[in-house]
Amino acid sequence: MVTKSDTEPVQIEIFPNRFLKPETAQCLLNEVYNVGGITRMMIQGPNLPKSVPYGPARGLPVEENLNILLELGDQALELRVKVGRIWLELVSEDYIEKIKAACERALPCSFNIKKGKFFRTKSTVSDYAKYGNDVDEKMLGLVDPKAKRERDLAILSDTR
Amino acid sequence: MAYEPQYYPGSTSVGVNRRKHMSGDLEKLRDISDADVVTIMGHRAPGADYPSTHPPLAEMGEPDCPIRQLVEPTPGAAAGDRIRYSQFTDSMYNAPAIPYWRSYWGAINCRGCDPGTLSGRQIIEARERDIEEYTKTQMDSEMTDPARATMRGCTVHGHSLRLDEEGMMFDMLARCELGDDGNVSYLKDQVGIPLDQKVNVGRAMSEEEVAARTTIFRYDNVSFGGLGDAPERKFDEGLVALHHMWERRSKWGFRPE
Repeated sequence: MVTKSDTEPVQIEIFPNRFLKPETAQCLLNEVYNVGGITRMMIQGPNLPKSVPYGPARGLPVEENLNILLELGDQALELRVKVGRIWLELVSEDYIEKIKAACERALPCSFNIKKGKFFRTKSTVSDYAKYGNDVDEKMLGLVDPKAKRERDLAILSDTR
Repeated sequence: MAYEPQYYPGSTSVGVNRRKHMSGDLEKLRDISDADVVTIMGHRAPGADYPSTHPPLAEMGEPDCPIRQLVEPTPGAAAGDRIRYSQFTDSMYNAPAIPYWRSYWGAINCRGCDPGTLSGRQIIEARERDIEEYTKTQMDSEMTDPARATMRGCTVHGHSLRLDEEGMMFDMLARCELGDDGNVSYLKDQVGIPLDQKVNVGRAMSEEEVAARTTIFRYDNVSFGGLGDAPERKFDEGLVALHHMWERRSKWGFRPE
């Protein structure tokens, strides 16, 4: 999802005041994606384990958390978190108002949009261990150190 | 004149609710069957015998002890039941009980129990038939809003997280669901083992009701020290009492003589 531009990129955080159901998250992402102008996106929230991690039921599958798919553009990702926060990098500030309008259309609850610097720009030790010396700066801060790139990261084509 | 315990200071609704929880003078809002409570707790099958760790006290021949003669054993202790637990997570978004108040309630009103308070959850341990009774009292009364308080034996994360869209507290094991009729049902027991059938635990409270019944001070409901931008801040009497206790405790701790 790379849109070339000669304007200064900005980063924003969408913070709904409630955790989103997968259907609402899908709806929000569709609306936001249709606005365009997005270079990077990160979805964050508490983990939805596939199986019970502790206690007497340890290992039992949590059926409710299995096979939740998020589809965006030409890619599909398995949703492994309860969506509570979205970071976006936009090609220019002009898109912020459109993103805000998209959130108003898609979200059933109130939300905050904050402008700031959310994706890191310098490689950490974990990044070095994961990507080595030759890391694409756009990859930094997109996934957790323990995340699997092929499972948790999607690169969308330019055509929408 | 008969002595009346003074449990907690303050004239706010939170102060009043805290006194209600501590005194045990709680409103009963629903009636969940004993079998359903036992099912959610998951320690034994409803209707099954209580396993025991020792013979009934009456058969054991207790030593001659003035304390034992003075204190009547609880039904669970008298029968020799196992120690079992129930643990609740209460949302900080105006859940009626907060962990300390479940503990105060347990310590003051429940005999033979061991309450434990943690940052976002609260556990009470007692003999099996005693803890079943105490748990039912908690679930039936205004201490529990089914949407914002869940029995969670493990994987308790949720107290300090935002609520779900429909107003339920986040639960990564999806133990409960909110039905179309506004009732909350348990699909799994407190440790996450699926139940044979759903257990209905009553209607979720409205925003207004939880705001009125809560024992938590929040800036967006009943604030502990008045609104921060008010021209003159007025502290709740509970806060004044707390300051007093902390001052004495600090001074005493610093100079124990």
